[in-house]
Amino acid sequence: MNDTTSAPVIQLRQVVKRFKTAAGEYIGLRGVDVDIMAGQFVAIVGKSGSGKSTMLNMITGIDHPTSGEVLVNGVNIYKMSESERSLFRGHNLGIVFQFFQLLPMLTLLENTMLPMDYCNAFSPSERPQRAMELLKMVGLQEHAHKLPAAVSSGQQQAAAIARAMATDPPIIVADEPTGNLDSRSAEEIINLFNQLVLQGKTIILVTHDASITKRTTRTLIIADGKIIDETVAQALPLLNHNQMLKVTNSLEHMEIAAGATIIHKGEHIDYFFMIAQGEVEVVLQPPKGTEVTLARLREGEFFGEVELVHGGNSIANVRAFPDGPVKLVALHRKEFTEMLVGSPLTEEALSRIVQARLVQNRSADRKKRWW
Amino acid sequence: MNTFLSSSSARPANNHKLLIQLSEVAKVYNTAAGDFIALKGINADIYAGEFVGVIGKSGAGKSTLLNMITGADMISSGEVIFNASDGKSVSIHKLSENSLAVWRGRNVGIIHQSFQLLPMLNLVENIMLPLDFSGRYKRRVSKELAIELLKLVELEDHAYKLPAYISGGQKQRVAIARSLANDPPIIVADEPTGSLDTLTAETIFEIFEKLIEQGRTIIMVTHDNNLAPRFTRRLLIADGLITADSGFHLAPIQEQR
Repeated sequence: MNDTTSAPVIQLRQVVKRFKTAAGEYIGLRGVDVDIMAGQFVAIVGKSGSGKSTMLNMITGIDHPTSGEVLVNGVNIYKMSESERSLFRGHNLGIVFQFFQLLPMLTLLENTMLPMDYCNAFSPSERPQRAMELLKMVGLQEHAHKLPAAVSSGQQQAAAIARAMATDPPIIVADEPTGNLDSRSAEEIINLFNQLVLQGKTIILVTHDASITKRTTRTLIIADGKIIDETVAQALPLLNHNQMLKVTNSLEHMEIAAGATIIHKGEHIDYFFMIAQGEVEVVLQPPKGTEVTLARLREGEFFGEVELVHGGNSIANVRAFPDGPVKLVALHRKEFTEMLVGSPLTEEALSRIVQARLVQNRSADRKKRWW
Repeated sequence: MNTFLSSSSARPANNHKLLIQLSEVAKVYNTAAGDFIALKGINADIYAGEFVGVIGKSGAGKSTLLNMITGADMISSGEVIFNASDGKSVSIHKLSENSLAVWRGRNVGIIHQSFQLLPMLNLVENIMLPLDFSGRYKRRVSKELAIELLKLVELEDHAYKLPAYISGGQKQRVAIARSLANDPPIIVADEPTGSLDTLTAETIFEIFEKLIEQGRTIIMVTHDNNLAPRFTRRLLIADGLITADSGFHLAPIQEQR
């Protein structure tokens, strides 16, 4: 989730990409809005053709958006000339590719020196030493003078990461960096990325390997050229990407002031609410006596499902926690019902939660009467 | 496969001088699972102007053999001698790392199956990269050279495109152009047509044949036996040994009955 204490290093604003092909126009991105904060380790996932590599290409400047803006470190990279962008990229972005793209006739050391040479970063006399330090960092000092062909695929990718770090850029961007590696080498590459995140780098990688998302701090799912609402992905993980997209497109966004009541007990409810930011508390307020807090819900959790699934009016009061405002995304009853019909797994999971919450609510109610 | 049977008694014409001598070349990898012998003792003489096909199955040792010729990796025993045009001979595995890099930069162009072009640089810039890195040319000159090389592979019209906008066959032609950047006498290619369809592979062979006409020597690795007729010299390799050497020929070897 967004860390409000750090600044966005990458901002995409309404980024649209259309491709003209022989078969007609093809829309790669349909309006992508996203902020990536300094120090985040972000995985972009999605099916083949979903637009994930296109999105990465918008950040690296390998391709141009049809409309919208891309800001890297606050600078609109598409207001630059091609050569300005190339230099800017050299200093700000390290890029890692699926097939490594090491120059075959240069040693690992020479390959690592290339970006410094290209961007005129560090003095020529410092470059070999810096390249060697980077190769040491990725565990390749013994292989520094070998050609790429003489080392394994995993080692080639490690060298490509050393090369990406050559100009000491704050951001590393990687397109399927483990896509061509066995699982052990892939694990080592992800460990290297984690090490860089600890050093304060921001890392964005595209992958189709779901296991990698367990190692990143944030996951963006992209489907049909749009980013799935991150709250939806967190709250309803059993939906498939198309279902998540449908929910994303039907959401209503709400902002609630700190401490304000969202739902009153006994009120008719027509929405399924998911918490995008902040915390809410679910309380029972007897006419006389002390209120009972049933639950405190956090980002990615939800409420309103009991009433929508079980029928009836609200079983408790729900209000924003007093320490800050709350952002909600809400799905109307009609779309909520359609979603459950389309996803039996989600329905099953939700009905289990509904049962648990009803039991909890009844026992709290009983205690209250005893009081 | 009878054409593989040795006719190495055939001596090359005078203008084809001995370029690379491989003698008892062996390579052993020490792995956690024990020693793995990739090359068991390779002997071969390669003459200037030959189009050599190193043919064998996956794991036979053919890529390792290329790595011994380019000095990409250390040799375990044996010798690889390169006879320079100035008459001097060097045993390349006895060179220091720096001298080896210099030797390679001047003498060997390398091509891989997977092109290895940088996606954020256009075709001219991709070719300029090794030129600029060598520090031998001013940027203006290296750009002119890069465009000349693109002309050679008939891609000058695409010079300012990014690799994403050209086909796989075109990418391989750019990689060939890049391998020629420092005008090396030897081109070494590991499965250069491995990810291309037959028709596209043909365009790569046409370029290689053009380079042979210019007097360059090409050593190409392939697992595809069907490509054998394209080479002027075939080295069949299995289990780390040359099992057949067609010997020196001036032209592609015609199938005989």
